[in-house]
Amino acid sequence: MDPYEIEFIGENRIISIIPNFSYDKIYLICGEFGPFRAGLPMNAPLWLAVMLKQKQKCRIVPPEWMDMDNLENIKEEEKKSRFFTKMPNEHYMVEAKLILGAAADDVPNATEIKTIIKDIWDIRMSKLRTSMDALMKSGGSYGRLDHLTMMEINSVKPLLPSAMDELLTIKMRTRKNMPATLNSSTYSQSGTSQNI
Amino acid sequence: MDTEDIDISDEEEEITAESVLNILKNSWQNERLTPEILPHRNDMVECMLGQIQHMERNINKLPKTDLRASIHKMEINRIKYIICNYLKTRLNKIEKYCITIVNEERQRMETGTNYLTPSEYRYALDYINNMEQHLKNTVLNHVPSNMQSFEINKMAVVPNLYSHVFLKANETVTGVILEDVLGDQDEEIDLDDLFIY
Repeated sequence: MDPYEIEFIGENRIISIIPNFSYDKIYLICGEFGPFRAGLPMNAPLWLAVMLKQKQKCRIVPPEWMDMDNLENIKEEEKKSRFFTKMPNEHYMVEAKLILGAAADDVPNATEIKTIIKDIWDIRMSKLRTSMDALMKSGGSYGRLDHLTMMEINSVKPLLPSAMDELLTIKMRTRKNMPATLNSSTYSQSGTSQNI
Repeated sequence: MDTEDIDISDEEEEITAESVLNILKNSWQNERLTPEILPHRNDMVECMLGQIQHMERNINKLPKTDLRASIHKMEINRIKYIICNYLKTRLNKIEKYCITIVNEERQRMETGTNYLTPSEYRYALDYINNMEQHLKNTVLNHVPSNMQSFEINKMAVVPNLYSHVFLKANETVTGVILEDVLGDQDEEIDLDDLFIY
């Protein structure tokens, strides 16, 4: 999928906002939100929050994880660990980008937070590239990638699976014993899981 | 100003609209991420389009400056985007794998489990027809007659169903067997989070 589609999916996450106007409940197809009470926090999907912010109708409450100390810890963890650590949420990059883009004035230390999230992203991406490289060189057919977020998976999606497909084709050609029917049991096993 | 006219009439319908939207979102993502064409969800698309029309009529009754109008409009645009993208993805697949899809669809029609909507099927047939005509007009009719035979099934592009995938287990599954396509060893793993295979 394209990055903007991932962003689109991420925009459905619920975050907290403080409106500066009062209104009745609003009934959207994706659920009902409100009532809007000036000065009282309420939940809204990210896309609505960003839109209201752009119209200067609300303040965005930064999510709990968007906090310097917390992010410092995550960064240290990520640096120390050989594996990927668990991220505060599945769409941290999308959330950070949209909130910091639209409402940097509502987030304390916005610039520092921006830098540190970028650092975390960079560390994770370089880890991902190293492990992809290792996977390719070792010739393994599967790898384990815990705690990777949708955006991160998507960043290697155009490359990794097709590269591995090509490798497999080459391997099969060299063996010259292409099985007439490929075995499909691996795929039927994935019934309970969801393709990403 | 009447605040009631934007509301969807009752609670029950509201819940259905939400679940319809969720089903659509899921089918859209699944369709985007699979190589082959999936069973159509035309019922859901129609249902959501009806809902959208209903909402749009209500929005038009509101004054342009009304905040709710713009919020609803934005939501409708988001839903329209999902639907458009979903249908476009299907059409792209139909164009790419038209011959395979039509052949499979013919078999499925006999059992009544068709994946395409009637209009998608018509589109696929037209597409194949046009392609055949085009090839005949541009090349085949101008080459010696012993080379003019046209075997459409040889041109079929088959989606690669054995590609590597990312998979994430929604629940822990133990002992999933990864069979080696090369046939020399099978590996057994436990699925609990994210893998690439």
